[in-house]
Amino acid sequence: MLKSKQASPRSYRIAGPQRRIDERETPHPRVDRGELGEKLRKWRKSRMDVDPFRRVFGGGGNEEDSYNSLYDIYRNLPEGRVNPVKTPVADPERMARNIKEIARFFGADVVGITHLDQAYVYSHRARGNAAAGEKPGDPIDLPHRYAICLGFESDYEKFLTNNSRISDAEYGLGNINSLQPTFLLAAYIREMGYPARTHGYGRFEVNPIPLAVNAGLGELGRHGMLIHEEYGSRLHLSVVTTDLPLAVDKPVDIGVEDVCKYCMKCARTCPSHSIPFGGKEIHNGVERYRINVDTCYKARLGSRGEWGNCVICVSSCCYNKPKAWWHTLAVKAIQWTPIPLRPLLIRPLLVIDDLFWGKRPWKHMKWLDYDNAPRKMVCTIPGCNVKHVNLQHKKLHTA
Amino acid sequence: MTYVITEPCIDVKDTGCIDVCPMDCIHGTDNDRMLYIDPEDCIDCAACVPACPANAIFADSEVPEQWRQYAQINADYFRDKK
Repeated sequence: MLKSKQASPRSYRIAGPQRRIDERETPHPRVDRGELGEKLRKWRKSRMDVDPFRRVFGGGGNEEDSYNSLYDIYRNLPEGRVNPVKTPVADPERMARNIKEIARFFGADVVGITHLDQAYVYSHRARGNAAAGEKPGDPIDLPHRYAICLGFESDYEKFLTNNSRISDAEYGLGNINSLQPTFLLAAYIREMGYPARTHGYGRFEVNPIPLAVNAGLGELGRHGMLIHEEYGSRLHLSVVTTDLPLAVDKPVDIGVEDVCKYCMKCARTCPSHSIPFGGKEIHNGVERYRINVDTCYKARLGSRGEWGNCVICVSSCCYNKPKAWWHTLAVKAIQWTPIPLRPLLIRPLLVIDDLFWGKRPWKHMKWLDYDNAPRKMVCTIPGCNVKHVNLQHKKLHTA
Repeated sequence: MTYVITEPCIDVKDTGCIDVCPMDCIHGTDNDRMLYIDPEDCIDCAACVPACPANAIFADSEVPEQWRQYAQINADYFRDKK
């Protein structure tokens, strides 16, 4: 039997020197600059007028009233001063336990702590906090020692309606839900006399995924996202970086590394074929599965204004299940099985997963006036009579 | 960049590509001898490539020399249709 806590993560490997990523190289700023095409830039800037949910949850457009978008308000909030009276910390382990309890009290579903690896701090900011005098392009200096990683669960059922206004609203709410607890936790630490900075929806100076993996919240999946043993990938992540002395957590082994080798469910169901079927690649000094972020983003143009966030890979992941004893048992069984023997367990579990949850997990739901029932496809090209089908009836990718 | 359907599709028209294209940007009529990719809507995801049994689909930068003209043929197909 193996320990679930690992000295280093199994789901990615440092293979060489890493260059710090400029936040301006990340997808949203690139789309804003039109680097992924004028069509996509226009879509991002104009989609706000489509649906009230999109307007209140914000997320990139500039046509909504900022005071109706909590995201815009939080993004531009100034951060408070550090209390000059420092609370002494005699026992970092006890402090870590307290901070986790406080984070959960504020609203986080999962919490982990890791050292702040400078490799995952962006080199320059894409937007910045105007209230703090920050501008796009400013270099980022974040000398904090620790990263407290917070995860916020999204609703299982609503995410299963993937590619709909319903899953989109749930996604937006998840982003918003992460703002207040993250702000409160950073403020709490500053009031203890230690510097702390929030990194959340719309204002990250760090990449939260590798930090969350290092903090033991889960492992890195084939689809490039964190997989938590209970919530799968339906977690919104935020981070508080600080110098408050804290004991750090260790990465965990919940079997993702082994399951992702065989499962491929995200790769088969990804509409834009953005998730690889093959092995890991070394990119920027890290060996991991490498998704095609450009095609993943561009596929939003195929939403016909219905949604902004696809989340098929999140809902199809075999770790994405409702809270239930049989799911816990399956994950623990993989976890407790020696690595060489895991395929013997994983293969039948994957067959069961396809059998009960389908090869393309999806749920029909009516909520408010929304109904995500597949609609008849209408082709806009005159004379075209090939059989276009909606996403739920498309063939799964095989390679 | 876009993907291009080339000569091997002629009189084959398997339509496997249509079943996987997330953008529904592959079109044709019963009277057409092949299918065409709309370069304005194609997002370069390459999902259609392994789905084509005739190996007729290539990235526009990788179209074999003898079928280079098909990039223009695909684009021209949509010229007066939008």
